Amino acid sequence: MTSYDVMPATELYQPVNIEDATALAARLGRKGWLLGGGQDTYGWLKDRAKRPDAFIDLTGIDVLKGIRSLPDGGVEIGSMTTITEVAQNPLINEKFTLLSAAAKTVASPQIRNMGTLGGNLCQDTRCWYYRRGLNCYRAGGNICYADSPEGMNREHALFGASRCVAVTPSDTAPALVALEATMLITSASGSRQVAAEDFFVGPATDILNMTALQADEILVSVRIPRKWADATFYHEKVADRNVWDFALVSLCAAFKEDAGQITDARLVAGGVDCVPHRLREVEQAIIGQPRNETTGEAVKVRATSAATTLNYNQFKVPLMQNLVLRALRG
Amino acid sequence: MSYLHIGKNFTPPDIHGKVTGKARYAEDFRVEGMVYARLYTSPMPHARVISMDLTEALAIDGVIGVLTADDVPEVKAPGSPVLTNEPVYVGDPILAIAAIDEQTAENAIAKVRVTLEPLPFSVSPTHTLRPGGPAARLEGNVYSGEMRTLEWKQDDVDRFLSGREPTGPAASEWQFGDLEAGFDNASVVIEESFVTSGYAHTCMEPRSVMSYWQNGKCHVYGSTQSQSFVVPFLARMLGIEPQNLVYVSEYCGGGFGSKIAAYPVLALPGHLSKKIGRPVMLRITREEEYYIGSARVGFQGWIKAGFKPDGKLSAVDLYIVQDLGSRQAGGDASSAGGAVSILYQPEALRLRDVPVLTNTTPRGPQRGPGQNQIAAVFEPMLDKAARELGIDRLEIRRINAPDSSAKLNADQGPVTSAYMVEALDKGADLWNWAQKKGHSRRRNGSKVTGVGIGQAYHDAGVNGYDGLVRITPDGIIHLHSGVGNLGTYSYAATTRAAAEVLKADWAHCVVEHGTTEAHLPWSSYQAGSNTIFTHTRANHVAALDLLDKMKAIAAQVHGGSADDYDIADERVFNAKGNSMSYAEVAQKAIELGGVYSGEVVAENLNGITKLAIAGLKGSGLIGAAKDELPKRGTAPGLAVAFAEIEIDLETGKLEVLDYLAVAECGTVVHPQGLAGQLRGGAVWGFGMASLEHHVYDPQNGLPANVGFYQTKPPTYLDVPSNMDWAATDIADPDNPVGARGIGEPAMGCATAAVMCAISDALDGHLFNRTPVTPDMILNHVAGLPQSFSALGINEF
Amino acid sequence: MDLVRVRDDVWGREVLAGVSWDLLWLVLTAAFAIIIAHLLLMAVLNRKARPSAAGKKLARHAGVDRAFHWITAIATIVLLVTGVFPIIGINFPWLTPHWIAGLVLTVAVGLHVVRSLFFQDPLAMWIAPSDLKELAGGDVKTAKYSLAQKGMHLGMAVVVLVVIVTGLVLFLAIDTPWWNRTNSIDEATLGWLFLLHGASTLGLVGLTALHIYFGLRPEKLFYTRSMIKGWISEHEHAAHHDAARWSPEETR
Repeated sequence: MTSYDVMPATELYQPVNIEDATALAARLGRKGWLLGGGQDTYGWLKDRAKRPDAFIDLTGIDVLKGIRSLPDGGVEIGSMTTITEVAQNPLINEKFTLLSAAAKTVASPQIRNMGTLGGNLCQDTRCWYYRRGLNCYRAGGNICYADSPEGMNREHALFGASRCVAVTPSDTAPALVALEATMLITSASGSRQVAAEDFFVGPATDILNMTALQADEILVSVRIPRKWADATFYHEKVADRNVWDFALVSLCAAFKEDAGQITDARLVAGGVDCVPHRLREVEQAIIGQPRNETTGEAVKVRATSAATTLNYNQFKVPLMQNLVLRALRG
Repeated sequence: MSYLHIGKNFTPPDIHGKVTGKARYAEDFRVEGMVYARLYTSPMPHARVISMDLTEALAIDGVIGVLTADDVPEVKAPGSPVLTNEPVYVGDPILAIAAIDEQTAENAIAKVRVTLEPLPFSVSPTHTLRPGGPAARLEGNVYSGEMRTLEWKQDDVDRFLSGREPTGPAASEWQFGDLEAGFDNASVVIEESFVTSGYAHTCMEPRSVMSYWQNGKCHVYGSTQSQSFVVPFLARMLGIEPQNLVYVSEYCGGGFGSKIAAYPVLALPGHLSKKIGRPVMLRITREEEYYIGSARVGFQGWIKAGFKPDGKLSAVDLYIVQDLGSRQAGGDASSAGGAVSILYQPEALRLRDVPVLTNTTPRGPQRGPGQNQIAAVFEPMLDKAARELGIDRLEIRRINAPDSSAKLNADQGPVTSAYMVEALDKGADLWNWAQKKGHSRRRNGSKVTGVGIGQAYHDAGVNGYDGLVRITPDGIIHLHSGVGNLGTYSYAATTRAAAEVLKADWAHCVVEHGTTEAHLPWSSYQAGSNTIFTHTRANHVAALDLLDKMKAIAAQVHGGSADDYDIADERVFNAKGNSMSYAEVAQKAIELGGVYSGEVVAENLNGITKLAIAGLKGSGLIGAAKDELPKRGTAPGLAVAFAEIEIDLETGKLEVLDYLAVAECGTVVHPQGLAGQLRGGAVWGFGMASLEHHVYDPQNGLPANVGFYQTKPPTYLDVPSNMDWAATDIADPDNPVGARGIGEPAMGCATAAVMCAISDALDGHLFNRTPVTPDMILNHVAGLPQSFSALGINEF
Repeated sequence: MDLVRVRDDVWGREVLAGVSWDLLWLVLTAAFAIIIAHLLLMAVLNRKARPSAAGKKLARHAGVDRAFHWITAIATIVLLVTGVFPIIGINFPWLTPHWIAGLVLTVAVGLHVVRSLFFQDPLAMWIAPSDLKELAGGDVKTAKYSLAQKGMHLGMAVVVLVVIVTGLVLFLAIDTPWWNRTNSIDEATLGWLFLLHGASTLGLVGLTALHIYFGLRPEKLFYTRSMIKGWISEHEHAAHHDAARWSPEETR
């Protein structure tokens, strides 16, 4: 076993415009590595568990940074905007507090200062077996070490497992799925838009990648439509520690209410599925109901009706139900 | 008693370096021609090296050389060799490669081809004890002074795991009192099984080392808790005499028991440097630190405790299966028994112990080794007994608390002094226990409050070490401290006992420390909470020796007998008005030579001290002495903590709202230092109670947590912003300044208080397990079974 | 180009991980090369007119055998699409349809094996020495199946049996509605299983491509029709088959 924590020599490209970046991405393909704040990257590289030939550092490209309001009343956030900026931005804090609340719980202040929204969305899972650099399914191998008779899988999935049982570690991803954001993606061959919900990919579809980004593509920005602006939001992240920890379970919820009844709702959980997990059954059940404890108690079990527990993660079932209850309690 | 220095805050001399970043830790040193080493470590939990192919690795440009187990002294199992051909845990170092830079070395490591034959392994003690269970080492599965194989019947294993009184044979046992009579006299008997998890020491500074050889001497720049105590052991590991070792450890970024003395990798660069003829720097990475950096011994155990109707503890039966990891360790269980024996003064106690080796990271002492594990599980049991007896939780502790007539351990020996009732009362008063206990089980939405009291103990002071004090003709008082700089400032605080004797202005004192080149006396290990007690004594006797010599010199110069002289304002004077400054006395000492200037040394001094004096002779007036002051028993370090917590029943999260620790450690020598100990100990204690534990995959022996974000030590936001502290501040009669140590119980009391508060919040439910994590609370509240196996250890 | 993929196991030992997927392109290229070569050859030969499909209809394939063939064909196509497309970067949730198709194939092949061994003439598909004269070329009239057909069947039989056996073992290594995986197969064995599964998949890709090509050849189309409708005409029989070795009954 090699002893880790030493960076290998790796080429570094620092493009200052998006065209150069996409040209590099097209040329390097899977041998290139898009670099934002580096908070997910350097561990992989130092452990030599992933060995790209070259970094494409996106942090020097100005158009990838910043937060702008959109003509429709929504907001566009450049992928290289730091998590701290997302957490502190007045526009987001005014209209989309769900996202700022989620951003404030990312990692630690130091990591939020360095880490970018794009990086937070595209980061790889934290399954400890995978992070050791083991050749599991997600690394292109033939086995899952986590979901085995004695696997240590406290932090793993309740939903959407397919051979791999890893979960999304992102705090901001569930918020963006709840807000029905759209990802703007570009490459040398053109641009496309993908709904946040389709941007994140589970192992059934692609066991090697957690997003729909192709090797030559770059996430340019995230567009949040006006639809959920000023809705009623609820966010909670439960982790072992209050800082610098990944969610055991997190919940992002957005509600629209009229005359004391919920008219529309999006509830999305993190830490329970490889992708941000929509609680569709709950969403449907609460339409037309008042947002209160009684509704919460009545519907909370629907959050976990499709859950499959592993050796050590059954606690996520009551935890998810409780978070749904709290979201509805308000 | 009024002191000039004792009980006063001061600025330890290393503070400036730490605050400004100028402090130089082991990996900050550079020397001409230095190369970098990297380790190749075992990917298997237990294996035998069959062959090595280093051709490709050594062919890389810039690779200088390699060190293997064949190049270093063999160590008898279960000791820790520098490198091994029989790795016994994942991460066990097999070889090291040196190259011109770290990247080249690491590239070479990646090209190393080692063929390993997998051997049987286990990450659970009870797994190895079952019939036909795998032994962690070829020599056996149990270590109690020697390696042996111990096998339980399946029925013994099943019985133990089901929480009933263990029937499997123990490896060792001790007892005092009549156990049977004790239980017969009991009106309440509490019987519980428990688990305390092992977990990493998590030193901020990994154990990096740099070494080179010059003129036959080996220079080692390391990171250890102790300074002088390291020297003979490290010299032996390097195969040299102590006088040929230059050891520098001016700063230590945390050791916590894992860097007490010479740990194996400390000798690695010395051996490699000798082989390749170049200075070698070995920087240990965070992940490597989690492999080789030691960890707390885990317990799987069973306790039966009998209480008389008045709340007095009559008998304790304690059975502990220890998880020793893969190397030599194992005093924790006996220490746990010792802690119970003193903290609650039971009439009878039996300790049975099975120290089992597992193929997990090597263990060693970690802050309160044994004492703090047992505090975490016994104190909540004490609360259970109090409830059943209808006695207040403070009161049951007062009823059983040790005083100066307390006895402890198997031999029921005496203590130097103990004032635990005073500590409990002081804490109860300051914390307002009478009012705050009413917060118990108070609901606030989904949150419920718990309050708890925790106590802990560690023996906190030894004797027989040396002190060395010197005054140079410039009037500077050199306080030579062989004490390591482990972060408690005791290396400096203990020298103030000498400054006190000499009535010296602190501004004229220089604390010499951190390198053998500063000529340091023999010292105790900086561990076991002993330094304050041990080295205030040693400094005191050395200063008395110096004082006697100053008076003798003054008498030679100005006539009369030494007894006619006294000191004040750094002058020696007599009633006739004759006086000499310390500077003048020092100059005269050089002229007189002999005992005064170190030409002649006392026979009873340790060889290390004699070496130090040999390096100083002729430079001034030298005072040196071995501590032969009376010590009538064990010097106990005791602490009690009060904690109020809130548990969110819907999220399983625990928050410590309010915390007070009271130290029962004799006279307070350095208030800021003590505050740091009590608060730092509390943070650590919260981590043990609610966050930190080893997790291993039993199928392949891999550790799950080898990074800060995986081991989860508490952060600023996981502890209360204000943590109060106090001390009984009652002098111990067997220490010249009245001091006893405190480091370890400062942590154990916090763990115990939080564990008690958790139980209190959850209607008396006992998890009997550290840490209590959110998943456990959620499962408990939801009425679900816990996910871990029965008495499972090294798992979530 | 590698033939196999190797990876480190959980303890850093190099183990087989499976077949190298570079070979997929090799197999496809080879299959298309054969097809193009055959197309050119046939164009040059410019064979005479094909026998008429009119006249008496002679039974060639019973309904149950035709059903077996098409069920097997569909299952195989599903298996190839679900198994190979993700490898070439076309991602979709493939695993569940893959193992369902695998089970269908297993059952179909199992029934076929039982039927052909115990209820049909097992030697009808066996390559006999007398078949070998077909190798010499010319218009050799064959028994029920030509050497080429027997060869294709034999090849298919081998790769399908290997793919089924390895697939079934690998099926134990995933979660299904009936069990949770146990990870009891060690990684080196798992590597061999994936190697055999992958290699037989490659064989299946190549053979399937050729099979489809020949099934669509104008001069062989009547065989494909017979696999749909069950019969060949008396003229087709007379043109390609030796009545002494195979004389089918008339059918409606």
